[in-house]
Amino acid sequence: MTQATSMAPAATRPGPDRFVVGLALAGLVVLGGLVWLETAPFLLALLAVSAVLGVALYHGAFGFTAGWRNLVTKKRGAGMRAQLMLFALAALIMIPILGSGRDDVIGAVAPVGTSLVVGSFIFGIGMQLGGGCGSGTLFTVGAGNLRMMVTLLFFIVGAVLGSIHLPWWLDLPAVDPISLIDWVGVPGAIAVQWLGLGAVALWVNRVERRAHGSLERTELRLRPAEGSVAKALFTGRWPFLWAIIVLAVGNALTLVIGGSPWGITFAFNLWGAKVLQGLGVDMGQFEFWNWAYPAQALADSVLVNIPSVMNFGLLLGAMLAAGMARRFNEASRQTPRGRPFLAAVVGGLLLGYGARLAFGCNIGALFSGLASASVHAWIWFACAFAGSMIGIRLRPCFRLPN
Amino acid sequence: MNAAYKRHRIVGILLAILVLILIDHLNSPTFAFNMGDGRAPSALVQRDASACAPCGAPCPSTRD
Repeated sequence: MTQATSMAPAATRPGPDRFVVGLALAGLVVLGGLVWLETAPFLLALLAVSAVLGVALYHGAFGFTAGWRNLVTKKRGAGMRAQLMLFALAALIMIPILGSGRDDVIGAVAPVGTSLVVGSFIFGIGMQLGGGCGSGTLFTVGAGNLRMMVTLLFFIVGAVLGSIHLPWWLDLPAVDPISLIDWVGVPGAIAVQWLGLGAVALWVNRVERRAHGSLERTELRLRPAEGSVAKALFTGRWPFLWAIIVLAVGNALTLVIGGSPWGITFAFNLWGAKVLQGLGVDMGQFEFWNWAYPAQALADSVLVNIPSVMNFGLLLGAMLAAGMARRFNEASRQTPRGRPFLAAVVGGLLLGYGARLAFGCNIGALFSGLASASVHAWIWFACAFAGSMIGIRLRPCFRLPN
Repeated sequence: MNAAYKRHRIVGILLAILVLILIDHLNSPTFAFNMGDGRAPSALVQRDASACAPCGAPCPSTRD
């Protein structure tokens, strides 16, 4: 008897994959126990939050990359509008927290300059070639996608390379972070963000209407497309609105509990640097790893690094969701070879390098940046979208479908 | 039916990750602090309030 699990059509799926669900839960319990015993309760809370975020990303199929590609190639804007709704809700919740004067919270604000523009553009290309963004790569890896594991591996390599080069990029023309909260106050910052997001939504609607004559409003659906609410809650697929609420509240909880908004890619930097350090490379020779936060993170345990702990939780949460849906590893029935494999390598490198130069990915820079009323998030959005359009054109060269 | 995954591979990958996390943690100041070394520079909240970006990058205005 083989140890392998068999695939079955969705309609005849006999229920959750108990092995995968059990393993994911065991992983959460073991990791949670370690965090509880060795660190602090707030990190355990963040682990739990991130596991729920992983479930929401998987069950909501909340991919930034596919949403952008659908708008460009199929002229369908539901995924893009869902993202805009997510940003708007998060801004509404998080800007007042950041503007309340509390000194224990810091927003995801970053400088605006050459590094940001180049990095986010490169990241956008990498999104389409690698097959995911920061969160997309993580949740698909958690769901057992082999090709995305290749992307993640080279994401880490690119991120480390980017960290070594970042000081050079920072010496190019740039200005200090611009926070709309400082400029126009909390109500003004929310208004500016909502106006900006509304303008993008109008453009998305116009693109879709021109191509199809009407809009597919699937992002507004409250009930699941198939099955009961209870079944969809555990096995997916969630309506976009469910995922939007969970992701926005999850980011706000991350801010309140951890002191700063949700971020993903710094952990990739850290993991790569720790591996190099373990192999005998002196990371102290690189300026980036002498800055206070990276140096502190490199010297200490990954269990006290918030992005690392949350990435572990997200991976296990996505694994749990994929097991509940009985779809673990479903996307990996064919080992990636040839050009699609090369696309994962190139895409991963671009994602990592770009994320470091651009101060984060679609989560740390875009989602958390917009929710923190930072101007750099808007620059990131525009440049990454432009890069993504290049990436979409390049996908056929790597035998990737559009 | 074709196999979707091999159980031992999944368990092996997760165990390998756990071992790496443990090796990293057992060599960390936080573990030393927990073991009674009060001088170990453990930091539960790793943050640099003076940094200009979430990754700890300095502000362009402060660079030479």
